[in-house]
This record gives sequence, structure tokens and C-alpha cells, in this order.
Amino acid sequence: MEVQFTEQIKQLQLGAGQAFHGEGILAITKALLQSGVAYIGGYQGAPVSHLLDVMVQAKPYVDTLGVHVEACSNEASAAAMLGASLHYPVRGCVTWKSIVGTNVAADALSNLASPGVTGGTLIVVGEDTGEGASVIQERTHAFAMKSTMALFDPRPDLPTMVNCVQHAFALSEASHMPAMLGLRIRACHVRGSFEAQDNVAPRHGTHAWIDEPAPFDYGKLAHPPVTFRHEKLKVEQRIPAAQAYIEQHGLNETFEGELADVGLIVQGGLYNALQRALQTVGLADAFGDSRVPIHVLNVVYPLAPKSIGAFAAGKRAVLVLEEGTPEFIEKDVIQALRRQDLNTAVHGKDLMPPAGEYNVETLVQGLIAFGERHLPQVDLAAAKAWLAANAERRADVPVASLPPRPPGFCVGCPERPVFSALKLAQQEVGRVHVAADIGCHALATFEPFHSGHSILGYGMSLASRAGVGPLMAQRTLAIMGDGGFWHNGLLTGVQAALFNGDDAVLMIMKNGYTSATGTQDIISTPDDEAKAEAERNAAVHQSLAHKNQTIEQTLKGMGVPWLRTVHTYEVDAMRRTVEEALTTDFAGLKVIVAEGECQLERQRRLKPFVAGRLKRGERVERVKYGVDEDVCTGDHACIRLSGCPTLTVKDNPDPLRVDPVATVIDGCVGCGLCGANAHAATLCPSFYRAEVVKNAGGWERFVARWRETVTSWLRPEVVA
Amino acid sequence: MSTAQVTPMRPTCVLICALGGEGGGVLAEWLYGAAVRAGHAAQSTSVPGVAQRTGATTYYIEVWPQPASTHPGRRPVFSLNPVPGGVDLLVSSELLETARQVANGMVSADRTVVISSTARTLTTAEKMQPTDGRADTGALVAALQRHAKQAELLDLAALAQQAGTVISAVMLGAIAASGVLPFARGVYEDTIRAGGKGVEPSLRGFALAFDAVTRQREQRTAVEAALQPAPAPDLRALGRARVASYQDEAYARLYDERLDRFAAWPAVQQELARWLALWMAFDDIVRVAALKLAASRQARVRREVKAGDDEIVKLYDHFKPGVPEFAALLPERLAARLQAWDRRRVAAGRDPWALPLKVGTHTLRGALALRFVAGLKGWRRRGQRFAREQALIERWLAAVQAGAQRDPALGLELALCGRLIKGYGSTNERGQASLLHIVDVLATRDAATVRAAREAALADDAGRALDATLAAHGAPPRPPREQPVRFYRRKPVPAR
Repeated sequence: MEVQFTEQIKQLQLGAGQAFHGEGILAITKALLQSGVAYIGGYQGAPVSHLLDVMVQAKPYVDTLGVHVEACSNEASAAAMLGASLHYPVRGCVTWKSIVGTNVAADALSNLASPGVTGGTLIVVGEDTGEGASVIQERTHAFAMKSTMALFDPRPDLPTMVNCVQHAFALSEASHMPAMLGLRIRACHVRGSFEAQDNVAPRHGTHAWIDEPAPFDYGKLAHPPVTFRHEKLKVEQRIPAAQAYIEQHGLNETFEGELADVGLIVQGGLYNALQRALQTVGLADAFGDSRVPIHVLNVVYPLAPKSIGAFAAGKRAVLVLEEGTPEFIEKDVIQALRRQDLNTAVHGKDLMPPAGEYNVETLVQGLIAFGERHLPQVDLAAAKAWLAANAERRADVPVASLPPRPPGFCVGCPERPVFSALKLAQQEVGRVHVAADIGCHALATFEPFHSGHSILGYGMSLASRAGVGPLMAQRTLAIMGDGGFWHNGLLTGVQAALFNGDDAVLMIMKNGYTSATGTQDIISTPDDEAKAEAERNAAVHQSLAHKNQTIEQTLKGMGVPWLRTVHTYEVDAMRRTVEEALTTDFAGLKVIVAEGECQLERQRRLKPFVAGRLKRGERVERVKYGVDEDVCTGDHACIRLSGCPTLTVKDNPDPLRVDPVATVIDGCVGCGLCGANAHAATLCPSFYRAEVVKNAGGWERFVARWRETVTSWLRPEVVA
Repeated sequence: MSTAQVTPMRPTCVLICALGGEGGGVLAEWLYGAAVRAGHAAQSTSVPGVAQRTGATTYYIEVWPQPASTHPGRRPVFSLNPVPGGVDLLVSSELLETARQVANGMVSADRTVVISSTARTLTTAEKMQPTDGRADTGALVAALQRHAKQAELLDLAALAQQAGTVISAVMLGAIAASGVLPFARGVYEDTIRAGGKGVEPSLRGFALAFDAVTRQREQRTAVEAALQPAPAPDLRALGRARVASYQDEAYARLYDERLDRFAAWPAVQQELARWLALWMAFDDIVRVAALKLAASRQARVRREVKAGDDEIVKLYDHFKPGVPEFAALLPERLAARLQAWDRRRVAAGRDPWALPLKVGTHTLRGALALRFVAGLKGWRRRGQRFAREQALIERWLAAVQAGAQRDPALGLELALCGRLIKGYGSTNERGQASLLHIVDVLATRDAATVRAAREAALADDAGRALDATLAAHGAPPRPPREQPVRFYRRKPVPAR
């Protein structure tokens, strides 16, 4: 990837006493180094991608500490990496996006958690409970419980987050259970500060090897009959050990308050929102001094029943604030209190919504409901008035009255033309069942393409057509990115389709990177040599995707008989290829490789290159497309076939016409789709392509001047 | 300690709306940096994941209004989410996104200062409509002014362009000028300098916005002026001139004669003046070639692509004329033979004949070719299409006239159906078919039915909405269009 993390890498090297300023995820990364971690791995995904991205780029520095960093091929391989800590006293951390990544990793996690670890292991997951999330209603909590792994949900406050990382390793070692740490998206990106400590080189690492393999120990294998013993170890030793550690180190914090006969038990991640809610109800000040006592669960699994009991003892009622369903924590709290014969009333999902994010407003509603039952002395009128005012404002401007703005393909994205071609092909051969996938190409599910019938998981599109394909009269189309292909699709999709002789069509978006997660490199990324060569030949603007043939070679090696590679900007060729794949007599697997390098990466390469040439006064050519406003009739068919952010509309300058005309605004990178679509779809003659040359040579200037003079004799002055 | 008296002290809360790729992250970093520089406790956060490529995104910053030295040993607990009605400053690079935060309930009349760009970045849903799907800017502004304590509206995108920088620097200048945050101008500027990247353009953009907002806070007239509607043009004069230049004076006289038939119904005549002129000056390759070659166009393109005086512009045009375009200029008999040949091609499973061209308009060959086609203006009258268009126009006018005689409102609605005629090739044919169908089956109904059908026909280009509306009014659906069907089925795989 071409993004530079220079500043972040500097922050990682801070020593004791220095002030770290930065985002939450980077603070976590720094905390790993302060904890003496020996190896780090993972698979990128929002919102935790930066942990790995920064570490990969910081290799020269982390090498000096002896820390091994590896970008894993998927979450399963990342989880398997933690196997190093089964036998050896080395700390390891891996990261991914949950819940999806945890699902992929589940097999390895079970087999890691069963024998239990020697060295501390930590899994940092992006816990996607709210906005910008996928499969938001599922919780990592369930995985932690089923595999008996500790789950941290720290207060979104940098010192607490860093502290939790360091304790997570120690807890993992004390209890032999792997630990997880979940971060909500806003906590990942929260910018704050903490006082750094020195980084610690691990005892064993790339600088100090483990001398010899551990002795054979059947107990470290997840195999019967030792797994029966593992089960006992989990409940008889590990959970109690973890609970003891939590209590001994006060990982769950209690904040006292004057209204001592009630209390709030809250997931750490919700603490700040709860504080603002309390402020709104008039129960706290801005510095976190609450009138209601609060017990903050920085570790949400396992719960420490003794601390829960100590907090609830003497209280008439507690309210458990826990995002998501089922209400695991609430049930644990109820059980803990009943076992300790405490009759404190426990509220939770009876007063709080069972689904959705617990934002400040939701929490205020819960606090009002709780206050009405248990805090007659508190005046709730202001809070209620605030809620009513919010509702009134929303009623005045309903959200549904505003056009939505979902994300879309970047300007110049090489994947957009594929969906233009697919739209055109379907006009010829009829509608097609499209098995979509995870990746940038999933943005085609939005306007103007509205393409895709299902998304079953990352790299799962071809596999997911295995059921519907044989039951359908027409062929189905599976779309997959190269990221998804390597993550999973090669085995679950291609291999299965070949083995079963399926009559399927697979479209692989070969853009050279896993782009939706931030253009991380993969095995089919164009290598540095190809990039250097492009620079030498002044061909930096060109796609380099074809320079890496790993996907094609793999497919050929597996025996894919029908394989076509089409450059995505050849819309007409792509349309014909799709039509052929859908109608050919050949009944086996047909693969179309849609080739075109990620535009983000190309632009990041191109910008400094062009800037350099301009600085040296060398010839630079830029391309921009445009629409002739007097030729455009305002039908916008071009937009329905493109959706490019720079292809938009403006007021019609012709006073006779009323519909806005299409226009290409600044930001157009001259990708060529407008022209290709105009030809492939027989749109209209409005589009032009302008090649603007700066610092042209003498001959080129001469020719241009000559042409201008001669053609000016041919031009009519005014045309209405 | 007792907190029975909850202090009114609260953080200053700033919500930033931006679109993906506008540098909102940098802006949030600057604001956090400015607070740290000034010795204030602060926190920022964002949801960049949602912005993934061009979508809407927000950044949220809280700053303690006094320096940290005033609250030793105590740290404020900042919220990670903006709270409805709890925002002190909303800054937005796009008007619809500003309105979205109003709809989310974030903006309150007793607290929220809003600085919003008046610029619109249209959403795909707005752009892709076959007519005009844009949200009403006036309504968006009105909603904002209704709910904000104070609304500063200015074109931030234009300022960014003027300064040659990204919009984030401009937004920072606007924030600084708003005075909502307790930092002096120099603190922000030092923060930009400390960033080290693109410092000069950023400072320029910052200063432009700072001054613009400061000025605007003193005299608020710009917005009102910008929202004044332009005076209505004389459509008949414009239409006549269009038709005359399109063909000749005789054609313009025909335009007059046609309009004069509607003198009894001024409202109908007024609308017809527009739609009749556009239909009579129908778009064909002769007209397109002339427009592409026009001297004024060269200047416009140079302006649009922002070519400097020392830069060379090479201009290419994308054409794909097919059989209909050529047949249009041929006499009926010849044209019919050509079209029959093309139909046979298509029936045989091939694509209709067409000639994809990329013409270098800046080259001599390209200009000559366009000149030749533009010179076919005289031929146009003899061509198949001219005759056909005139017949269709008469059919439409007759229906409008008959309708107006029954009810002027019905006549007006039928006249407005002229809007369906636009575009090239199949788009144009589809519009004509829809219009003629409405004229044929609904001209004897009431105005409301015609309006519903027209709106449906304009709503989607597949015609499904029109068919549904026709069915709802008990009218016959459009006849199916002839189209070769390439029917295919998967062959069953023999059992292994």
C-alpha cells in the first residue's frame, strides 16, 4: 500500500514519561510493544486495520525489538498463529474485524482455547455494534463464552485502553485462557493522549530464538481424551483464575455516588455515553462525578461475581446497560446476585431496547425509566423535555425526506465499468442471479446499479451459488474481488465448482489489492519492480494489475478450462464476454478476470510522479472528460450507467429546456468510462475527452498552433 | 464530594460533516492539535468506515472551554457521540448533509451555530432521475434557518478552489472565525504549520474562509441574494430564434403558425412555445456536428477543463452513429431499404450496425468531417426523419388543441407532455412512443389523468411506472416494442 504512516511510527517509539497523542487503535498498538509482545499478526478490516498496517510499515523499528509481524491470509491463519503461545512463554497478538473475522477464525480459536495458552495471547477485534458495521447484531461476547476466552471492553479512554492491553496479557498468562479486546468504531478512532512507557523487547523473538522445541505434551493438543480434561480445566481452574485476577487488579472499576441505594452496571465501552446521559438527566457533572454509583465492566467476560455482589449489596435496584441481544451480562448479574442471596432488583432489557446502539439518547430514556421506578427524588422533567424537543425537530425535517448518500465507487474506480457492462449485458440476455461478495464491488448494490442477490461472506460468492445455480434455468453469476479470492474464494468456490463440474460463471475483480479494507498488499499485488519499471517508462498512470499473473496461473493450474481476461475499461468487450459466458454451450466453470488496478493506489503513485515532472518543467498530459451542455438533453442515462461522483448534473443553461444537464466536475481523473459507455451503450454524442498538455515541446506547440489556425476557418461562429 | 449542584460547565461540542475524501480526518486532527497547543483538554473521533468512498461521514470533537490548568487533577469525560441538541457548532461541507443533521435532531435553536457550505454534491439518487431529481435547495436552507441559533451559509467549495487547497483548510478557517472555540486565530495557523504538508495553500484557504465568515457575520445579505429567482425569459422569442437558426426563416414561420393556433389559450401557448421549439429543433447529427464545431465551444471546453493559456488542449468527441442517424437524412425509400437491411442483421442475432467514432475535433481531418456533416442542413428537409417528426408534431398539436377545446387544463397537461421528447436514439424513440400513447388513449380523459401518466413516464426509463399508471386509470398498456429475444437456457448436466 502506498499510504505512509511515518507520524504514527514515531509515536510507537515514545519512551517512558512522554505524552502519546493519537487514535485509540494506535494507542493499543503502542501498548502491545510496551507489553513485550513477541509476534503480531492479523487480517485487516474496519475499524482495526491500522493496527496491522502501521505495524507492517514499522517493520524496521519492530525488528530492532525482535518482534515478528505478519499480514495473515485470513483470520483463520491469524488465529492459528497464536498457537505459538501454546507451549512457549511468548506473548502474541492478532487482530481482525469482528464478528465476521471471528467467524472465520472460529476453528483455530476453539483449538487454541481448549488446551489453553502458556504465553499471553490477545485478540484485538473491531467490535462493530453500531454505525458503519456489518452483521451488527451479533456479538463477540458469544464466542468468548463458548470458547472460554476473556473479553475486555475497556472504557474509551486512552490510559484505560492501554492499561487493559497490558493486563489482558497478564490475565491470559494467569488463567491460561486467550484474551480478546473489543473496540467499537468510535473508540478505535478516538483521539486522545496517555503517558507512554518504554517498549519492552520480548524474552524470545526474532532476535533471541527459542533454543529447542518443547517436549511432547499430549495435553497441548485439542484431541480426545485430553479435551475432556480441558473442559474441566476451563471451568475449574481458568475461569476462577481469571476472576481472581480481575478482582485482585481491580480491572472493573466502581465509582461511588451519593444515591447509594441504586447503581448502574455498564459495559466499559458505553461508559462515556452513560456519563453524558447522566449529565443530561442532571445526575453527573462533566468530570464524571455521578450521583448514582457506577460499576464499569472493563472485562465483560468472565464476570467477577464477588465484585458484582459487593457493588449490589445494600442497593434496592441496579440497571445493567448492555448493548446487544441476548443479554449475557444481565443474566450473569442476576445469577451472581441470586447465588449470593442478594435481592437487589435487576433491570436491563426490561427498560432498555433489545436492539440497536446505546447512544446517549437511548441511555437517557433508560435512565428516565429507571429513575421513575427507583429515584422519586430526582426531577426528570428537563430530560423529558429534551427528548420531546429532539422528537419535535425530527418531525419537522424527517430523515426520509432527504435523499440518502450511501458510499460508492471512487472516481476512476476500475470496478465501476464492470457493472456498466453487466447492466448492458442484462439488457441483451435478460436478468441474471448475481451472487455478490464482500469488497468494494459490493458498492454496486447501491444506486445506480442495484446489483447482487446475496452476500454470504468474504470470498463466498461462488460457493453461495452452488445451491441456487442448479435449480435455475439461467446461469448465475458470482462476483468476487481478488481479496476475497485469496481470503477464501479459491478453496470454497473455485475448487468446489471444479470438483463438482458446476455450470457457473465467476467474475474476479483483479485490482491488485484488498481495497475495501484500505488497499493492503496481497500475493497478486504488482511488485516493486513493476512499479519501478512503470516509472522508468513514464507509464505511471497505467494499470499494473496485469504485471502479476498469480491468479491466472493458479486458475490454470487448477484446471479452469474457460478463462478470459478483460480490461475493465473495455466496456463493450466486457459486455460481450459476460454475454458469452452466460450463453455459451460450455457447461463447466467459466471465469472472467476483470483486470484494472485500484485507482487509489494508482493515484498515490501518479501524484508525486506528476508533481516531480512539473517541478522539472517536463511535459505532462492530463485527461478530463466533459459534457457539451448544448448537446446534452438531460435524460441522465449516462449517470444511470455510471454513478461516478464527478459525473453529475447542473442547471440547464438553455432557458428553453428545464431538465438539468449532465456535467463532469473537477476531480475527474480521465478514466475513460464516460467515453467507453457512450460507445458501448450508444448513449448520446455529448461526451468529449480533453487531453491537456503542459510544457509541450516546440514541435507539438507548432502543430497545435497550425491546427488551431486552420480549423478556426471551419468553425461557425454561433449556433443555437 | 457532593455533586448535588451539577455545574453548568460543559464541553464545547463540534460536529463536522464531510464527504469521503474531503480531508475531514485532517480537520479533526487540526482541531485536536489546536486544543492541545492551547493547553485545553480535548477529544476527537470519527466514523471513517462509513465514508468509504464518497459517502457521507462525520467527525466529532469536544473541547473543554477553559485551559487544563483551571481543572488540575480532573479530566472531563468526553462523549464519543454527538448528542441531539447538544452541538455548539456544526460545520458542513455540503448542504444536504447539513440538513441531514437537522433531521437527526442535532441542531438546536438555543445552542447550535451552523456554518454550512451552500454547495451541493448531488447524490446518485438525485442525479440518476430522467428529469430533475435534485432536492429543493430552498427547502434545505429554510430547514436550517428554522433550527439553527445562527446559520452562516457560504460556498466553501468555491473558497477552497480559489485558494487552491482542500476544503478541510477552509472549514478550519470558518470554525476559527465562528468564535465558538476559545482559541485565537494564531493557534489554528500554528497548528497548520506544524502539520508540515501543503502549509501555504492551507493557510490561504484558512484565511479566505476566516475573512468570509467574519464579513458575513457583520452583514448577512449574501444568502438572501443568492436565493432570488431569475426573471422569466420570453420563451416564444427564444423558441423562434432557435427554430430559425436550426433550419431557416420559413421553418420559423411554421413555428409561428403552429403557435398561433393556440392564441385562445395563453397558458397552453406559453408552454407550447418551449416544447414545440425543442421538438422542431430535434437533435440530429447535423445539429450535433455544428454544435461540436462551434467556435464558442472551443472556448467553453478550455474553460471547463481549466486549461492554462500555455497549455495545449486536444479534444476528442465520442460518436456512434448507426443506421437511424444515416436514414434520417435519406429520402423515405432509400431510408426504408437501409432500415430493412439493419433489421435483418438484428434478426440474425447480430448487433445493430453502428460506427463507434472517436473524432479528433482539434485536428484538420476531424474539423473537416464535422464541417461536412454540419453542411448537410439543407438535406435535412428532404430526409425521412424530418417528415416523420413533422407528422408526429402535428398529431401532438392536434391532440393539444382538441384537449384545450374541451378543457384548457387538459390542453395544458397535453402540451406539457412535450417534455417527454428528448435525447437521442432509443431514448428519443421511447419518449415519442410514450407521448403518442398518452395522446392516443388519454387525450379524451381529464387533466389529472394525463398529468399522472406524464409524471409516470418521466419517472423511470423502463416505462414500468407508466404502464402501472395506465392500468390504474383503466387505460390500455403501451403496445410491446419489437425486440429480438435472445432466449437461452442452461443445458441440464448429464448425471455422472
